[in-house]
Amino acid sequence: MSGGPASTTAARREVVLGLRSVSKRFGRVVACDDVSLDIGAGEIRGLLGQNGAGKSTLMKIVAGFVRPESGELTIHGKTLGFGDPVVAAERGIAMVHQHFSLVGPMPVWKNVTLSDRGHTRVDRSGVSRQITEVGRRYGLDVDPDAIVDDLSVGERQRVELLKCLRRQPDVLILDEPTSVLTREESTALFRVLRRLARERGQSVVLISHELDEMLEVTDRVTVLRDGRVVSTVESAEASADSLAHEMLGQDFAVSAEVLGLSVEGSHASRARTHAPPRRRAAPAGHDVPVLELADIKVTSAEGHALLDGVNLEIAAGEILGVAGVAGNGQEELTGLLSNLIGPDSGEVRVEGRPIRTGRGRQLGRAGVGVIPADRHDSGCVLEMTVAENLALGSLDGMVRWGVVRQQQLHELGRRLVADFRIITSSLGAPLRSLSGGNQQRVVLARELARKPCVLVAAEPTQGLDIGARGYIWDRLREAAATGTGILLISSDLAEIMALSHRVAVINRGRIIGTMPRADVDTAELGRMMGARTHDRG
Amino acid sequence: MTAAEASPPRPAAAVAVRPPRLPLSDYLRVGALLAISIAAAIGCAALLLSVTGSSPATVFGAMVSGSFGSRVALTATLNHTGPILLVALGALAATRSGLLNIGQEGQISIGALFGVAVGLAVDAPRGITLLLILATAAVAGAIWASLASLLRFTRGGSEVITTLLLNFVGFQVVSFAVNRPWLLQEDLPEGSVLSASPQSNPLPPAGHLPTLAQGPGFRLNSSITLAVGLALVLAFLLARTRWGFELRTVGLNPRAARRSGVSPALVGSGALAISGALAGLAGGVLLTGTAFRVNDGFSNNYGWEGLLAALVAGSVTLAVIPSSLLFGALRAGSGVLAATGVSPTIVGAVQALVVIAVTLPLLYLNRRRLRALLQRTGVSRT
Repeated sequence: MSGGPASTTAARREVVLGLRSVSKRFGRVVACDDVSLDIGAGEIRGLLGQNGAGKSTLMKIVAGFVRPESGELTIHGKTLGFGDPVVAAERGIAMVHQHFSLVGPMPVWKNVTLSDRGHTRVDRSGVSRQITEVGRRYGLDVDPDAIVDDLSVGERQRVELLKCLRRQPDVLILDEPTSVLTREESTALFRVLRRLARERGQSVVLISHELDEMLEVTDRVTVLRDGRVVSTVESAEASADSLAHEMLGQDFAVSAEVLGLSVEGSHASRARTHAPPRRRAAPAGHDVPVLELADIKVTSAEGHALLDGVNLEIAAGEILGVAGVAGNGQEELTGLLSNLIGPDSGEVRVEGRPIRTGRGRQLGRAGVGVIPADRHDSGCVLEMTVAENLALGSLDGMVRWGVVRQQQLHELGRRLVADFRIITSSLGAPLRSLSGGNQQRVVLARELARKPCVLVAAEPTQGLDIGARGYIWDRLREAAATGTGILLISSDLAEIMALSHRVAVINRGRIIGTMPRADVDTAELGRMMGARTHDRG
Repeated sequence: MTAAEASPPRPAAAVAVRPPRLPLSDYLRVGALLAISIAAAIGCAALLLSVTGSSPATVFGAMVSGSFGSRVALTATLNHTGPILLVALGALAATRSGLLNIGQEGQISIGALFGVAVGLAVDAPRGITLLLILATAAVAGAIWASLASLLRFTRGGSEVITTLLLNFVGFQVVSFAVNRPWLLQEDLPEGSVLSASPQSNPLPPAGHLPTLAQGPGFRLNSSITLAVGLALVLAFLLARTRWGFELRTVGLNPRAARRSGVSPALVGSGALAISGALAGLAGGVLLTGTAFRVNDGFSNNYGWEGLLAALVAGSVTLAVIPSSLLFGALRAGSGVLAATGVSPTIVGAVQALVVIAVTLPLLYLNRRRLRALLQRTGVSRT
């Protein structure tokens, strides 16, 4: 691809960590494709890319958690074998994972010593002194005797950092360290990182998809896309625009087309994926939006705003794509429309009528269907039969005197199994006995068979192969064509671009912009997704 | 993809309704396992008995003849099976909704206590008195169990713990009532020199369960027909009604239930109330069928045995009938055995070995479901 490490500063630095032609695939998915990287001493390097671009996999390879098919890894010029985290740690590679690995009920000092090897006895006061000392030196103040459960997220991250720094690593890898932090905590973390780089000559690799912080803290940024290195640039010379462009690719239509073409043997779907779908004009008199969210607020038990005044409108027959980095409120949005959580304030209106969510049957009866991101969570019941799963939530029409009429249950099952080509031994087989793709079809079939006026599709093709993906896209387009308003929540931009009529961007629990598909500027979209917009306010 | 949709709808008969049967070899394997484990249990029991100085042959003979060997024995077995089956049905209703009710001992006691109070207080024709007693017992059991759902669904307290602890409260309530002359303690004839014993007065004959068969030394009451009838009803309700469908959904995936508009708290507290009602009814049946009065220790392990019968039955609702029969037979058989002078501890151990032997092969069949059930108990909050 384009670009390359043509930097002069790199040449001056001693190379601490070197990767040569590293490739890794998971089944048919290529996670890393011939990646080479050099990280210098005292350098803070950013790894930028979308979800699934291969950033985390690459760094897990470095830290020994994942073994690649081919390639070479060197530390200070000496080759290091793959696939052994203990050896990698001994050779000076430390990694702070996105999800912390701390034992909540234990004090800080115990957590710090947990992964120590070869000790029969832990010197508590020595460890505590060390924690205080290292903490003071780098501005990572934590009370060694505090219980981890009582610490804030930012403090827990400091404990993770202390765990690593105590061993004086040569390379410190941080995977999405700021995704759980407040702005202040992030700034404090960056200050620590710069100090480490300057005073210790610490090499740091920072994985992120937030453009601003990349520019703020790193010396250089390597952009990954689909497992390949797209470019490596000096942060001082880069702009958010240029990074967004490289992260997202030149042209969404092209990537969508590639996916569409891979759908086996369907000319119709091939033709349709080229152009953004046309929206069928809403029938006259139906200009009330099928779904409206008015100033929805949802707060976590700890008091964080998960949805912070969300406003959305979907017209009949419209597909509204909600783009955003995972963890910015998408889960709560789906939960709200899945009847799992009720809003703290604000109103959900379906076809103009206010609907109570979080309990009761109103949402389902109003005609809101949901394909949840994790079908096992609320989408199906694995131990119940295929027929029962297909009827879940739509028993209303097949009950007489409280008795579910078996004939109707089986008729619905037979029809949907045939229509959606669900492969199963029988209607009475437990859903667990179906393959993942067929389980997803059961969920899709059930939700679409109800002819919902609103369909929420959260990551509807996550984890599915390209054939299944094209099939589900086609079904969603058909549903929209018959007047269903679809809320497509996806972290996959290609999916958003291929299906949506309009695109909304969600960031930290807020919709920070909505634009027609035709007006989508990729760079702008990337910037909005990565921005920390509401910290301004 | 689109080609298929353009074509006219297919004839909808492509997929079978029932899953294919398990291959015969699976049943044979379970059968073989059953034979082996029963043989092993008998071996262990024989060893235990000879070590403790009893003759295994006599003991096994007594157990078989004491449970099925005569009309007297068979009657005892069936009279025990009735209340055990009722308790088991209740336990099943709770476990299917993802809750584990282990408070049947207390619910039996409380049911019987209120049943006897009503039976002694009213003076009505036979049918009405009996119905009043049984209804009161069921309602009292339901309310007692509902204390646990109140704690669970408003405060998040695990029903496993609260139902268990409510047992002891229930025992104390019964003990208190039968030790107070102004409450339910037995009246003594004027001028009696004996002190009153901690038990209630006997029920009048109007409050006795109808007799199915009678003869010298035995009286078969109708608890078994009531229990089997209710088993059929519950099996139908669980499998075929909307209520059963939603209850199973809540038990297996509460989030999917909420998503489809079903309230796990509502369904769960309903199931726990039914569970308590059936245990209370078992108390009422014991009272009106065999005991006729309430005393300390009234529940006498019927609750535990019913709970075990339900766990042995596992995922197949109607399997509670044979499993309750097994527990009923063991109870009758060991009653006779105890009369032969073998230590009750040894009798208990032999009984437990037989249960394990019968259960193991069934557990092997139900292992997956049971595991899923146990994962849910008490842990999943809604």
